[in-house]
Formats: sequence, C-alpha cells, structure tokens
Amino acid sequence: MKKILLVIPAYNEEDNILNTYNFIKEYNKKSKQKYDVIVINDGSKDNTKKILEDNNIPHINLVHNLGIGGAVQTGYKYAYYNDYDIAVQFDGDGQHDVNYVENIINPILEDKADFVIGSRFIDKEKEGFKSSASRRVGIKIISSFIKFATRKKVFDTTSGFRAVNKDIIYDFYLSYPSEYPEPITTSELLRKNYRLKEVSVMMKERVGGVSSIRAWKNVYYMLNVCLAIIMIKFRRYKKCQRI
Amino acid sequence: MSKNLIITLIFASLFIFILASRYLRKGRIPEKYALLWYLFAFIILIVSLFPNILSFLARTLGFQLVSNMIIVLLIGILFLLVMALTIMIAGQKKKTTLLIQEVSILKNEINNLKEKEK
Repeated sequence: MKKILLVIPAYNEEDNILNTYNFIKEYNKKSKQKYDVIVINDGSKDNTKKILEDNNIPHINLVHNLGIGGAVQTGYKYAYYNDYDIAVQFDGDGQHDVNYVENIINPILEDKADFVIGSRFIDKEKEGFKSSASRRVGIKIISSFIKFATRKKVFDTTSGFRAVNKDIIYDFYLSYPSEYPEPITTSELLRKNYRLKEVSVMMKERVGGVSSIRAWKNVYYMLNVCLAIIMIKFRRYKKCQRI
Repeated sequence: MSKNLIITLIFASLFIFILASRYLRKGRIPEKYALLWYLFAFIILIVSLFPNILSFLARTLGFQLVSNMIIVLLIGILFLLVMALTIMIAGQKKKTTLLIQEVSILKNEINNLKEKEK
C-alpha cells in the first residue's frame, strides 16, 4: 500500500478546518486506501491552533507566518522526511472534496503521470464552483503564458488541488516558490519534462475565510505570475531522469 | 570647481569615514562593507584635492557642470547599492524561511515524541 499524505495549509481557518478534517476521517473509515493528514498552521491569528490541538489533528505550527508558498513547502518537506509516496495539496477551507482525491492520485498510482492537477475547467458539462468571471479570464491568460513557455496546455492553472509523486516531493523539498506557487511550479515541472495529467474535479464555493488571492491585488498578481513564467521559459533546467 | 564645493566634499569624505569607523568599532557592520565605505570616502577626498580630475572627466563625459556629474554619479552608485541590497534581502529571506520550516517540523516531532512517552 502506498503512503499518501494530504497537505492542508491553513491560515485563519477556524470556521472550516475541523469540518475538513472530519470529512477526511469519515472517508478513511470507509475506504481501503487511507490518507494521512498534516495541517500546516501558518501562524494563524484566530483559534485555528487551539482547534487543531483540542481535536488531535496532526499539525505543524509554523513559528512565524511564511505565506502560502512557505507553508505548503513545509508540508512537502514533512512528506519527504516521512518517506511518503504521494503528497496531495488540499485546501482547508472546504472548497475541495476528499472523494476526488482518489481520481487525482490514480494517474500517479498507475504511473501514467508524475503530477496531477484537479481541474475545474476540463469537463465543461460538470456543475460546481468555477470561480468568478474575472478570475477565469486571469486563469486563461496564465494558461496561454504557460503554453508559450512549455508548449503544453494547462486548463486550471491556479488550482490548489493537486498531487505529486515521490520525485517531485523531493524537487519541492529542495525549492518551492514563496509566492504564486501553483502556476510557477506547474511551468517548472513541465520544463523539467515531468508528465502532467489534468483530472476533472468539482469544487465548492469557499464557506468561510478569505482566499489568498484578494481582488484588488489581481492585476499585480497577474503581472508577477506572467513575468515569472516568461523567465521560466528562458531559464535552463535539469531534465528529470526516468528509467 | 569653487573653493566652497571643495571644502564641502572634504567634509563629506571625513563624515563618511568617521561614520563607517564608528559602526565598524561597534561591530555593527562587517569589515568588507566598511572597506567599501572607506573607498568611497577616499575617492571623494582625492577628487576634492585634485579637482582637475573631475573637470577633465566632466568634459570627456559631456557634462556641462562638474556638480551635475557628481550628482549623476552618486545616483548611479546608490542605485547599484540598492540593487545589491535587494539581492541580499532575498537571500536572507530564503534562509529565514528554511529556518522557520525546519524549526517548526522539529517542534512537531518533539511534541509527537513527548505524547508517545506519556
């Protein structure tokens, strides 16, 4: 049986984190494949820490706030130190559904992909939360930049629901961008010749808390991400070795 | 170059020298940065003692006034300095991130061990 870890970054998620964890616990009771959980508490200022401790949820309290990139990388480091085969990034705000984790890790288990993105846009028929119109435009622009840099089409470029195999856990252990990690790491992994698969998932609208991408920062966010992806095109990368 | 400007420059050079020495004595800046400031002070001293160097440079570089050239050069040097500092800060940030992550993971492991002992 493969060792699978769900990395859940949490910043001020007192409203959702317990529900998220209970859903996973319920799932583990029914399922043959168990998922371990590690919540990375990124210096929350609310009761997140207390909730994590009172309910015995496995967690790491960062001694200082690092931002989303640093927090998620802590999870990948934990996965590396504890010899996990697959690490799944999972949001603590109730957007992601634990039942889809199976779909996301399957391509890795079957060795058809090295990393898998849970995509909101790949299956047009499917219902569910597809982000606001302006966000979707942004995601499309980033998608065309990634196409330019890597010659590969990625639909949901900012999805925080994704799984990576052991090689990439090590890659992320070594380096992980501190800001805008999703589109940047996707481009970098594609440039390193890792195999990507996008799998359709349904997301719910977030129940509480605030998204890490705030509206007034959107233009600035886009400029930064696009610049980063252009740089990735002109950087040299060591290609991954597959036997 | 007017006599007054020369005197101002000599004082500026002395000021930089004294400032750098004070910080160095208190151990607040490492020697390699102090050396940079000393070099800076030295160059200002030289050009104020031999102002011909400056007027020659200004003529060859196409500046109408020596003072214009000094200002442009200073802005250029400060710009490079800020760039260097930005790079340094990015490096520092990487190191603190690494430390925060490793310390937090270690704390988690220690807590787990403590729980097991109970």
